[in-house]
Amino acid sequence: MRFTVACYRVFGRNVALALIHLVVAYFFLTDRAGRRASLAYLRRVYATQAGRSALGRAPGWHTSFLHYRAFALSIADRVELWLGRAGDFHFESHGSEICDRFAAEGRGYIVLGSHLGSFDALRLLAQRQQRCVNVLMFTRHAQQINRLFRELSPDAEARVIEIAPDSVRAIFEIRDRLRAGELIAVLGDRMEPGDRGRASQVQLLGDSVSLPQAPFLIAGLLGCPVVFMTALRSRARRYEVHVELLAERVELPRHEREKRVGELLAAYAGRLEHHCVRAPYQWFNFYDYWADASSAEGVE
Amino acid sequence: MTGKASPESIFTWVCEILKREFQISDAEISPTAHLIDDLDLDSIDAIDLSVRLEEKTGLSFKEEDLKAIRTIQDVVDFIAERLD
Repeated sequence: MRFTVACYRVFGRNVALALIHLVVAYFFLTDRAGRRASLAYLRRVYATQAGRSALGRAPGWHTSFLHYRAFALSIADRVELWLGRAGDFHFESHGSEICDRFAAEGRGYIVLGSHLGSFDALRLLAQRQQRCVNVLMFTRHAQQINRLFRELSPDAEARVIEIAPDSVRAIFEIRDRLRAGELIAVLGDRMEPGDRGRASQVQLLGDSVSLPQAPFLIAGLLGCPVVFMTALRSRARRYEVHVELLAERVELPRHEREKRVGELLAAYAGRLEHHCVRAPYQWFNFYDYWADASSAEGVE
Repeated sequence: MTGKASPESIFTWVCEILKREFQISDAEISPTAHLIDDLDLDSIDAIDLSVRLEEKTGLSFKEEDLKAIRTIQDVVDFIAERLD
């Protein structure tokens, strides 16, 4: 990250973009597992009607390379966003009235993102509403990341909250942030090592995947709204931001918790798939995402 | 919650929370009832309970506190000691 930022500062966008392309081309050529995962994913997309028309051709080397390339472009944009050049970007938002309403009501909410498109665009949304974004991460490096955030863009209102699954401290911090009307952002499409298996099985692109329950469990504990968000790149420096309400207020009665969380995660996966097949190259999970479905049937 | 509360009154409202929010029946409740083994609470319930207790008492719970709390009486003692 620091290296990429340095390239930008020294060489400007075009040279940095060329360098990023080189790095990505290198990964494309050498990362056999990633390439195979990309192809397997693109085939799943192609099996859907919307996906077939978005891809326009059967998946192969070419589409897979486009997939890698989209990743390179997204990194380049990310760096620019981080460098505070948000003014050069155009965001067309769909559904952000929900956020405006929550802001007007002074309510905090959870923004559930994914590795589809750019999650950084979220910061822009928050900035516009003058709200602070707190990113939840399963990391021990929260302090270093916070320092990097401040170095890169001192004005940006963003911080990282480190969570451990059964951690009480994080819950109280999240609650205080929500009460202050702030946003809690978390990625919902991958199990992290710290999740300790609190997962629900839901359908995504034709097979079941494990998604972490943590975001909805937290929302249930604190009774807050949850929105789905993705920002898809339409062309250079232009993004379409989609915000959709998943739950106005998450309530999880004790004996129905598993069932309710499962339903909410299925709704999230549904929205994810909807946008994914329309912008198939912007799915940035370059690993065997459906591994559970093929190998460990029925294993928690 | 301010001022002194007797352990008896703390016990009463802790039980009320357990009954109302966690659907624990009267029959299951006793000072020695174990939160996990007897009342079947899990780690999410424990956090839920601590959020509710914190709201009521203004006390903050730490991970270590939760680990040390096993029975309803432990909850009552924890609160009684700190509200003194």
